[in-house]
Amino acid sequence: MSIGGSDLDRAITQLRACKPIPENQVRELCYKARELLIEEGNVVGVDAPVTICGDIHGQFHDLMELFRVGGDVPDTNYLFMGDFVDRGFYSLESFLLLLCLKVRYPDRITLIRGNHESRQITTVYGFYDECLRKYGSVNVWRYCCEVFDFLALGALVTGAATSLTPTDGPIAESIQSMDIPDADCDIEIETLNAQGEIMYRYARNSDSQSSAASQANSNAASSSPIAPTPSNTGPAGTGATSSANGSSKSETGAVLCVHGGLSPLIDTIDKIRLLDRKQEVPHEGAMCDLLWSDPDEIDGWGLSPRGAGFLFGADIVKCFNHKNDLSLIARAHQLVMEGFKEMFESTIVTVWSAPNYCYRCGNVAAILELGEDGSNAGFVRRGNGERGGGGRGWVLGSNDGPNANGMSNENRRLSSVLGDSMGRPRDGPGRRYRVFEAAPQDSRGMPAKKPVADYFL
Amino acid sequence: MAAKEIPDLRTLLGPRRGGGLRGRGGGRGGFGTSHEEKEAVRDSAVRGTDQDAAGSRVSCVELGYLDDPYAELFATQASTRRLPLLNRGTYVRTSAIDNLVDRFLTTSPTSPKQVISLGAGTDTRFFRLKDKYPNAQLIYHELDFSSNTTAKLHSIRKHSQLHQKLPTNTHPLSPQSDSYHSPIYNIHPLDLRSLAASSSDTPPPNLPNLDPSVSTLILSEMCLIYLQASTVSSILKTFLTHYLSPTTPASLILYEPILPHDAFGRTMISNLSTRNIVLPTLTAYPELGDQRMRLKQCGFIDGYKGADTRFIWRNWVSEEEKERVASLEMLDELEELELLLRHYCVAWGWRDSASGEKDVFSKAWEDTREQV
Ligand SMILES: [Mn+2]
Repeated sequence: MSIGGSDLDRAITQLRACKPIPENQVRELCYKARELLIEEGNVVGVDAPVTICGDIHGQFHDLMELFRVGGDVPDTNYLFMGDFVDRGFYSLESFLLLLCLKVRYPDRITLIRGNHESRQITTVYGFYDECLRKYGSVNVWRYCCEVFDFLALGALVTGAATSLTPTDGPIAESIQSMDIPDADCDIEIETLNAQGEIMYRYARNSDSQSSAASQANSNAASSSPIAPTPSNTGPAGTGATSSANGSSKSETGAVLCVHGGLSPLIDTIDKIRLLDRKQEVPHEGAMCDLLWSDPDEIDGWGLSPRGAGFLFGADIVKCFNHKNDLSLIARAHQLVMEGFKEMFESTIVTVWSAPNYCYRCGNVAAILELGEDGSNAGFVRRGNGERGGGGRGWVLGSNDGPNANGMSNENRRLSSVLGDSMGRPRDGPGRRYRVFEAAPQDSRGMPAKKPVADYFL
Repeated sequence: MAAKEIPDLRTLLGPRRGGGLRGRGGGRGGFGTSHEEKEAVRDSAVRGTDQDAAGSRVSCVELGYLDDPYAELFATQASTRRLPLLNRGTYVRTSAIDNLVDRFLTTSPTSPKQVISLGAGTDTRFFRLKDKYPNAQLIYHELDFSSNTTAKLHSIRKHSQLHQKLPTNTHPLSPQSDSYHSPIYNIHPLDLRSLAASSSDTPPPNLPNLDPSVSTLILSEMCLIYLQASTVSSILKTFLTHYLSPTTPASLILYEPILPHDAFGRTMISNLSTRNIVLPTLTAYPELGDQRMRLKQCGFIDGYKGADTRFIWRNWVSEEEKERVASLEMLDELEELELLLRHYCVAWGWRDSASGEKDVFSKAWEDTREQV
């Protein structure tokens, strides 16, 4: 049986319903995926606009929520930074769906390898058992592991815009709209909730440029974020806004995406390109480090408490970014309760996309949208109506900016999420975070038998 | 361990139970079949979590976290390997309490001591202490539901490694029994709430071999948290004034969750409630400071301390031991582990004798580092 064309679409439909596909189709799919992935370099080139996602960990229904919030494939370009499997109940359906989408829309979705895409780790953390349970044999696990070996180790996003075209979505009820900077400003960061409401907006503290841009801007709709226009669902900020943002900005550096982080054995991206990646994740060495390491508040390098990879400090990141002409490293791998966390003056960001991780942690999830330089093609506003309005839960803070005096509690919390944005050598790309919560309980079809030992009892 | 002590969730459901403290027997007749079925499911869920605790211990032993030759003897299910973060959590909890108990037993080692373990379940501590301190003058008591003590005694009768530790010549293990009594080890089958309900008309049940004048350590690992705060206070008062004379040095070690109000804590409460598990004192004493104050108010006035298990892992475990434990398994769940460890605490409080001099607990625990 072949899985080309309509068969593939049928498999996608079936997987979207969270139903596994037959073993022979998995074999065929994995074969096709390998053929595709083998052509990719260790570091895949990706053009903005793109939406960058962190760990999924088999939380299928939350992956569906992610697509609802971020836009569907192929309308939105996606880059998933690994850890598709393990821990959640639906690793198989989640990974196979992503793989189907990769085979169906190879230029629209990029998958890179996480430390859980490994034979050894999946036997400890659940994916192996899940395959065995769902198919009665480990063949499917084996096919998937063969695909893991071909996944790229990183991605390099180029062509991202330095400024966001502001969303003209409504401001969340929980936010004081007075605090939202004017949409004409040079918007560096915007945080939206799952309904597309603005939770936070931060204007780059530059200068004459942004006021020049605001002079040139005659787009009434996007310059009045205070007056929500929820009925307007068309593309945001066309016309004057676009040209003003596009033409007057200096270019941002590239964005390196990798699951874990840096390696003491790697000082240039070209050295990543030279690795032999088509193997099980080794216990040590550069490939292992890229998938296992974590940034930490230390100087230089440190031993990782995970037993693999290293800890690396701000100096390492700044040096690496400078040497490789990067403005940002995006990585996943660490649970962050707020869904994302910028560190080291916004030179590195952790993106975490598994809400209420392991159905236990209570965290929200996030995805990171990077727009295309010189146009607004990347930002199509999502509809607001599906769940009704109203700000919910997590308030990421008001909008005085990370350095404002008299910080409120929200601001203090915010600046731990968003690093100090000042004084960076290279302007980072405009960053739009969409933050979302776990899919509603009733939609997730929790298995009757809950996993044991959730808590210490 | 005391998962088994999740007792009797039916009495937590309120007045329609008729308030029977030994709810397992009472009030059955009035309910329809579906309700009966529901209760059966619930009961078996409770038994499942009990064996789950035993299984967690076995997992830790098999992987080398803990040295406990007795753990597997109480586990009835085939062992399954637990996730590394759960193994680490079980390790921290067990070694933290071991640490406090060791300090107690090694302070004035020749003087007699008493331990009362509430909701002891399948806990192996008595047997481990017997090996570690063969000369200690220790009187050990375990209190738990009859169904749990029956199962425990079944295991003890079955395995010679266990019953050979007991003076069975003079104090035989009787078949099918749910209780055991000897000068060194006692298993008391009872519902802890019967200690709270007592009044002058109905005095608390007799606990054979409990010595009212020997320095006594009371242990509650995930046990009292399943009861109402007022019930817990009454139970502790019964121990401190009825079973023990008011001048006897006494202490309490609690191991239980804290921080119910943050995202992780709220999720925990909601997840457990879907399993019909309610933790009333978690919200009554949400933070470490609340735990310390309740210890003091209960009468442990000479010391009342607490630390979360993350603090304990960082500060009580030696660097060499940390390295040993970290090398046992690759642990990918670091952030989750930190979250989990921050949401469980050990709190310990004591009263010295009335003499005004420093007594055994002050000497044993004064230097133990708490979280400030
Ligand atoms: Mn990871």
